[in-house]
Amino acid sequence: MAERIDLEVPATLNALSTVRMVLGGLGARLDFSLDDLEDLYLATDELLRTALDADALDRWSVEMLVDAGVLRFAAGTFKSAKLRADVSIHAEDCLDLCMLLRRTVDDVVFEDEGGAYRIVLVKRRKGGPA
Amino acid sequence: MSGPDERGVNDPLDLEASPGEARASTAEDEDEDEASAHGGPAADAQGRGRDDSEKLDQYLLRRYHLYGDRTAREQLITMYLPLVRSLARRYASRGEHFDDLVQVGAIGLIKAIDRFDLSRGVELTTYATPNIVGEIKRYFRDKGWSVRVPRGLQELNIRLNKVIDELVPKLQRSPTINELAEAANATPEQVLEALESSQAYNSVSLQASPNGGGGEEDAGLIDYLGGEEEAYGAMEDRTTLAPGFAKLDKRERYILHLRFFEGLTQSQIAERVGISQMHVSRLIRRSLEKLREEIGELDNPQIMRPPGDDPE
Repeated sequence: MAERIDLEVPATLNALSTVRMVLGGLGARLDFSLDDLEDLYLATDELLRTALDADALDRWSVEMLVDAGVLRFAAGTFKSAKLRADVSIHAEDCLDLCMLLRRTVDDVVFEDEGGAYRIVLVKRRKGGPA
Repeated sequence: MSGPDERGVNDPLDLEASPGEARASTAEDEDEDEASAHGGPAADAQGRGRDDSEKLDQYLLRRYHLYGDRTAREQLITMYLPLVRSLARRYASRGEHFDDLVQVGAIGLIKAIDRFDLSRGVELTTYATPNIVGEIKRYFRDKGWSVRVPRGLQELNIRLNKVIDELVPKLQRSPTINELAEAANATPEQVLEALESSQAYNSVSLQASPNGGGGEEDAGLIDYLGGEEEAYGAMEDRTTLAPGFAKLDKRERYILHLRFFEGLTQSQIAERVGISQMHVSRLIRRSLEKLREEIGELDNPQIMRPPGDDPE
């Protein structure tokens, strides 16, 4: 059965630790391996840190959904075209945000909401016990 | 007068066989290391006695200090690595990887060899031991916790480090939080908290000069690490030449390369580089932080862009 957690946190670096702790709890419930969990931490940290620079939001709305070995992390609501480009465009041979996300999560999706959008990261369990 | 490469007529020992004579430490002779640590590592079981060992030390020290013979210096380093390993083993239960402690201890050994005063008439072992121990203790001091973390969490963190190292080869994969909790006799929440707190643990910069200097002429700790140099050298990806990466030391660049360009997991990198998975995690985060700072200076919020690529 799917389980959803909604968080609204200040758009600050301090909030990242709160997000990580909740992610960790959900990841543990899904039996994610430590490698998968570390990947998820990196992906969300880097995404939100970039968002902090690119989009002048006071608060982030974060939604986490777990279901059948999949953890879906959605954050928003962003308006920055630059953030969108950073997430979606990869410069060849460079370690940019786009590449980091590709290496650490299974899917990156944009959900448009009017003139704004949410970024969704999808991580599937694979490294844990069978 | 003898030149740097000539052997004096009174030289007591034939060095043709060295440094092979200086035993390379293996698992099977680790106990012997302990026993030989204070008697001089060249005192092998074949009968070459303590006196010969001391004569060999003195000979090599003379070669190095009087004639600038770098080969003699390298032989001394090789000969005394068992002593370093023996001393490092005393500190191996404190949560740091044994190999890291050996590398740090080796820096103490090198300092001792370089600073050894032939006129004092003391044995190298006597002089080197406090240098090696001092370097290891300094390493622990420099690796303090950057924010206050409760002692219980610190201890769990240390325990987790060991548990992860044990579980990865046993399971042939990265362990889950629940598996870690069971093995460390803790709850999953405590494990998550300890892992989160581990990010507050400072690592000494391998780029930092062991002499405390910051000049470019100072060798960094990384320059003393021999084992991975070839692997680092083989990394010729264009990314290593791009802005931002120049701020990283060789090991950081190597680890980022393995993780993001080769696609290795943190556990696989830990095995490849010979450090713990948690250490890999810290190094990746620290490296990304450095890249972010560097790119921030270039007024570019992305982690890194190739030279000349305008983000707008």
